Amino acid sequence: MNLTIARGAFRTAPPLFDTAVYAIVALMIAMAVVGPMLAPDSVYVSDIGNALMPPSAAHWFGTDDQGRDVMWRVIAGSRATLLSAMLIVTAYSLIGVLIATLATVGPRWLDETLMRMTDIGLALPGLVVALGFAAALGPSLQSAIVAKAITGWPVTARLLRGIMRQTMTAQFVVGAQAMGVSRWRLMTRHVLPNSLDILVVKWAGDIGAAVLVLAGMSFIGVGAQPPSAEWGAMIASAKGYVANAWWVVAAPGAAIALAAVGFGLLGDILQVRRDPSLRGRS
Amino acid sequence: MNALQSKWLPGGVFVARRLAVTALTLLGLVTLVFAMIKAIPGDEAQVAAGPEASPAQVELVRQRMGLDAPLVVQYGRFVGQVLHGDLGTSVSTLQPVLDDVLKVFPSTLELVIVTLLLSLLLAVPAAVAAATWRDSTFDRACRVGAVAAGGMPTFWLALLAQYVLASRWGLLPISGQQSLDFSVQVRTQMPVVDALLAGDLAAFVDALRHIVLPAFSLAAFFAAQFFRTLRASLIAILESDFIVPVRAKGASFARIMLRHALPNAIGPTVTLVGVLLGMMIGSSVLVESVFGRQGVGAYLSNAVEQKDTYAVLGAVLFVGAVVCVSNVLVDLLLLAVDPRVRAAQLHGSKR
Repeated sequence: MNLTIARGAFRTAPPLFDTAVYAIVALMIAMAVVGPMLAPDSVYVSDIGNALMPPSAAHWFGTDDQGRDVMWRVIAGSRATLLSAMLIVTAYSLIGVLIATLATVGPRWLDETLMRMTDIGLALPGLVVALGFAAALGPSLQSAIVAKAITGWPVTARLLRGIMRQTMTAQFVVGAQAMGVSRWRLMTRHVLPNSLDILVVKWAGDIGAAVLVLAGMSFIGVGAQPPSAEWGAMIASAKGYVANAWWVVAAPGAAIALAAVGFGLLGDILQVRRDPSLRGRS
Repeated sequence: MNALQSKWLPGGVFVARRLAVTALTLLGLVTLVFAMIKAIPGDEAQVAAGPEASPAQVELVRQRMGLDAPLVVQYGRFVGQVLHGDLGTSVSTLQPVLDDVLKVFPSTLELVIVTLLLSLLLAVPAAVAAATWRDSTFDRACRVGAVAAGGMPTFWLALLAQYVLASRWGLLPISGQQSLDFSVQVRTQMPVVDALLAGDLAAFVDALRHIVLPAFSLAAFFAAQFFRTLRASLIAILESDFIVPVRAKGASFARIMLRHALPNAIGPTVTLVGVLLGMMIGSSVLVESVFGRQGVGAYLSNAVEQKDTYAVLGAVLFVGAVVCVSNVLVDLLLLAVDPRVRAAQLHGSKR
């Protein structure tokens, strides 16, 4: 039997949709990698004579109050926004893996302690706690990244601990244990590699959420500071003149939304790939 | 085992355990805020004494503030202060943070309640229709809408909605919580409720008109989450076996949906309400200042703007505590209204 045909016949979700999501994510990554190199230096230089020009052929998304081209600023700021978001998610995922591993291999009291800590983290409003840390460290993009990275791990830790416990009961792990494999080797060679696929899914999906939180922190003023072209900071510095120049706010916000949606949907797609029974659920 | 079978005891044990967990969470929150204070760069005594203070003066300030004590002692003192309701003093208003925050909290509470109602009002009918006509154009449109609404930055939506609906079209007030034309007696600090209590219909409508835009900007994100959850559980229920005989006996569609599917599918959504309620309170910080509302969120962003770090941390502590308490209340409410939750929590296996 030809399996390729069978697979095609049972396919329900249009691949076009997946392709669109991949395209958005690829565009975002490309923008973050080469954007700041392509952007002209003028994105950080004010040209008051050109201030608040509406979108035109010369300035596709118009200019801001300093006469800087909004589109190029969005492109130049993509690295600050997206790379920071990736850094945040990577950092707290690592912390989450560490905590889940300790909880799984450690003694019972350690597991209890770590999971109670996780509960506390889950019960508190993430944005507000991160905001507090960033404000304490002194408002800057670095502070915002550190603040979210050290407060974002509870969900990952909780999820991963459950999966690792499940993996611990798998036949091959029990077998390895019976063969006298050391705890360290059991963890690094058998349990961890077989528990981490969920992390890839979560990593992609979380980047979207991290972009939103980071932009929110910059908007409130504890994240990236003007004249940075980080997207949240761009909106923050333009909020005073929305009525005169909506485009200065509209463009970076649309970029945030596109990044959040793109990475969020990528997470969903990967989730379905990992567990096809979830297809069509959301 | 006998004790567990009596009617009241398991409930009491559960409530006691839940309250203990909350106390622990609050202690965790206080510890986090203490860590934040210690994370402030620079020497606290130096900062408090001012840049021109001599080393001897700085030393004096250090002793007065108790900063020469070991960290554990400082931590103990801090917990004691917080237990006495001392969340620090704002540098800009020179008032205790708790007093300031309590004054503006009702406004945030009102905004959150309206946001919750609005997001459910948007999500529930949409989810019912989308699950009914699954894969229809309406369903697709709603799903795309939910994805978009879930990805839009709240503060951006707030700014654009304010620009288009208020500045441009003049449909709704641009900012504030109440027009100056009305002088309603302030009782609860919640403009809508105050107007109702005063029986002033015009003021009530006016306060409602002021709350629509902020509530809508906040609600978009949460409505998307409710929609996705409810739609998924409705579809699962509508596909399950017990719906078949209901259909076979000729029950009308409305009856299937309202009597059988919805009550069985609403559980995850209600749980989500509890989870997201805390997030709503936190997210108020993103919209209140945009619309010039006087709530905790606006206090927080204002304190950030004033570089009033102690006020920020005090407000963070307050918001965190409110979220913890609201989580407990929702849990207890669920326990009271949903027999399945009761069964799972009281008689089910412990983790």
